[in-house]
Amino acid sequence: MSVREFNVIVAGVGGQGILFTTNVIARAALKLGLNFAQSEVHGLSQRYGSIRTELRIGSDVSSPLILEGTLDLLIALEPLEGLRQAPYISERTTVVMNNHVIPPVGAYLERFPIPSFDEILELMKSLNPKQIMVLNAYDIAKKAGDYIVANTVMLGAAQATGVLPFPEGVLREALEEVSPSRYRDLNLRAFDLGRESVSPPR
Amino acid sequence: MGDLLAPANTLEVLLGNEAVARGALEAGLNVAAAYPGTPSTEIGEALAKVAKQVGIYFEWSANEKVATEVAMGAAWSGLRALTMMKHVGFNVASDAIFTLAYAGVTGAMVIVSADDPHAHSSQNEQDNRHYSESVGLPMLEPSNPQEAKDFTKEAFELSSKYKIPVMVRTTTRISHQRGPVRLGEITAGFSKGKFVPPEPDRYLQVGAIARKHHAELLGKLKEISLDVAPSYAKVEGASDAEFGVITSGVAYAHAKEALKLVNVDAKILKLGMTFPLPEKAIGEFLSSVNTVLIVEELDPYLEMRVKAIAKDYAPEVEVLGKLTGHMPRVGEYTMRTVLNGLSKALGVAPPVNFAEIDRRSSEILKKVPPRPPVLCPACPHRSTGYALRRAAGRAAFMGDIGCYALLFQKPFRVEHVTHAMGSSIGLANGIDVATDQDVVALIGDSTFFHAGIPALINAVHNKRKMTVVIMDNRITAMTGHQPHPGTDVNAVGDEAPAIDIEKVVRSIGVDYVKVVDPYDHAATEKAIREALKHDGVSVVITKRECALLTVARLRRQGQKIVPYRVNPDKCTYCRVCINTFACPAFVDTGSLVEIDPTVCFGCGACVPVCPYGAFEPQEGSLNWREQKIGV
Repeated sequence: MSVREFNVIVAGVGGQGILFTTNVIARAALKLGLNFAQSEVHGLSQRYGSIRTELRIGSDVSSPLILEGTLDLLIALEPLEGLRQAPYISERTTVVMNNHVIPPVGAYLERFPIPSFDEILELMKSLNPKQIMVLNAYDIAKKAGDYIVANTVMLGAAQATGVLPFPEGVLREALEEVSPSRYRDLNLRAFDLGRESVSPPR
Repeated sequence: MGDLLAPANTLEVLLGNEAVARGALEAGLNVAAAYPGTPSTEIGEALAKVAKQVGIYFEWSANEKVATEVAMGAAWSGLRALTMMKHVGFNVASDAIFTLAYAGVTGAMVIVSADDPHAHSSQNEQDNRHYSESVGLPMLEPSNPQEAKDFTKEAFELSSKYKIPVMVRTTTRISHQRGPVRLGEITAGFSKGKFVPPEPDRYLQVGAIARKHHAELLGKLKEISLDVAPSYAKVEGASDAEFGVITSGVAYAHAKEALKLVNVDAKILKLGMTFPLPEKAIGEFLSSVNTVLIVEELDPYLEMRVKAIAKDYAPEVEVLGKLTGHMPRVGEYTMRTVLNGLSKALGVAPPVNFAEIDRRSSEILKKVPPRPPVLCPACPHRSTGYALRRAAGRAAFMGDIGCYALLFQKPFRVEHVTHAMGSSIGLANGIDVATDQDVVALIGDSTFFHAGIPALINAVHNKRKMTVVIMDNRITAMTGHQPHPGTDVNAVGDEAPAIDIEKVVRSIGVDYVKVVDPYDHAATEKAIREALKHDGVSVVITKRECALLTVARLRRQGQKIVPYRVNPDKCTYCRVCINTFACPAFVDTGSLVEIDPTVCFGCGACVPVCPYGAFEPQEGSLNWREQKIGV
């Protein structure tokens, strides 16, 4: 298959499994023989700070960093972190967003107002993305067995949007390959529940 | 994540750092040693994981200088050795490396410097290309994970051929870039070498001998500039173009795409070897264009040298870059930086309306609260910070390099300084000499072993009055949990003698030493108060393992992590917990404080913080302090 350029950001709070989520998508790209470049964050900034990984898939790609306004898929494991990607979001962006807000504790100390999820959603809409899918990934993950697989729920939902340049099934196979054996079944259950639970486009 | 031992001729997803490790394995690596440091750490982690299977020797050393000397010893015994470090780690190792260039090697040795433009995880934006030239070691600069593997392998061949160490320089966006890598055959393994100096004076660098070796080194570098550097200079793009770009590393990847977007005829000279430079290849490229833009991160290293070459080869060519204001010198490059620079150099409007993007997004970003990194839930450093604030709030706090550097943040503010590895104790010496203030040095266990011990010896010998808080979380945490001399396992998982910090401190002659569990806030506070009153050097060791280790172990054991809760009948919304303890699991609803169950690790450290006893365990919650979990 041929893909020229498909840009993904996975954003969230350090510790939410952002890197794992991105690695699964990269593994799918590898399985299909597609070129890609993924840029990620390690070290101190992982610790409960804003984290995003950037993944660029396609034959035209050489830079590992996404140009503003050219994002195709945003997976926001935390909605504030999704909104923080505003410069990258445009009419070509599909947004898959978890509705569980994790307030940065520093904001309380600085008396910085924390927007509610509904406010975040309105702000996201004002950027005119192609579509926004919202889900309660933690509730779904708990149904799958443990809230720690909320990231895989989001991945299933991302697959359900149909925008990823992969044929049906490849992403799930990639997840199966990349999962540690201890979490494989749990991850696959979460992925399937995520895929089935996508709310209709708003 | 990638399979470092995947078979030859397959494509595997590798992180740039994993690719460096694989390149070394393909080059027949025997011995590797390093001290962890972002963005270099995953090279060592990858090697540690496969060391036994492949049969190489790998160690996490006490610091970068020792690691370099371990690798040198191997390379002087005829083996193939690797050491790798973050850019500032090179400063620590440099004392050994400068003279190593004169000495050369009998086997082969590669030194990886992982620089951090943008200081993502560092204290500065140091550009280690300067080291390559001033030390006199050739430097290869990969531009993607595939080249990271290939160049590392080639660096070993060059080192073996010319008998001098070769440097590989990566930057964060190469080290932490994941991509498809075509693999070659692994040839690594271990067999004993023999230390035989090739000539009697080869490793005796003094006076006339050093001068002789210096001249030899310069001769080798001249040869490499003529015979090797040109093969790493690649020209691409329209051959008749009058506009050129000279670039290297990840900047090349940005420039290549940016040139497509600005849609002008241009050609690129990509340099894979940035010291010594291929003077003739650069000269010929300059002669073929009217204008050249230098696209390189950090210092105008290439720009200055290209200007000097232009003087001989093409004095008319216009050389643009940082010195002409076309490219920035601070921060890392992005597609935007490069597009802006290119457009400015070409005198055209950027192909993307950045002003419009900024206008659209800036209003939104104003409403998104910042989320800097913070100490994890259950982090023992939070408890130490809490006790320090209460017991020593007015002291001068000398911090160090580690997660605990985050204690500079509100509400703790018990770090006035974060400088260099081990600097906390050294600086406390100086502040005590110069002032009458209470001085507290805060240092982690790994950092203490790395560079803290000489400064503590200095303090005792010179009769300083100061307090050192050693925050012993039983691991090198910030870089992702590497063992250190204080842990009872080594890099490859074997049992190892653990150096006891308390014994080290006592043996130095510190006469006030207290070891406490930081979760015991009252005891920690008391120990710090006493330590501050002590007339001399006092040491408080707050000992409790990194919470992420505890959580991982509990999960492995099948223990459910059950979060704590806030009893709404007891919470008075006084916000003391947020204002003094600031666990990231705290949620302020506007009328109550709650605990976010997706963030809380269920440690119970917050319980004594609430004056009204509102933090409560739930069914199945543990109490790490009372149950001695993590100590």
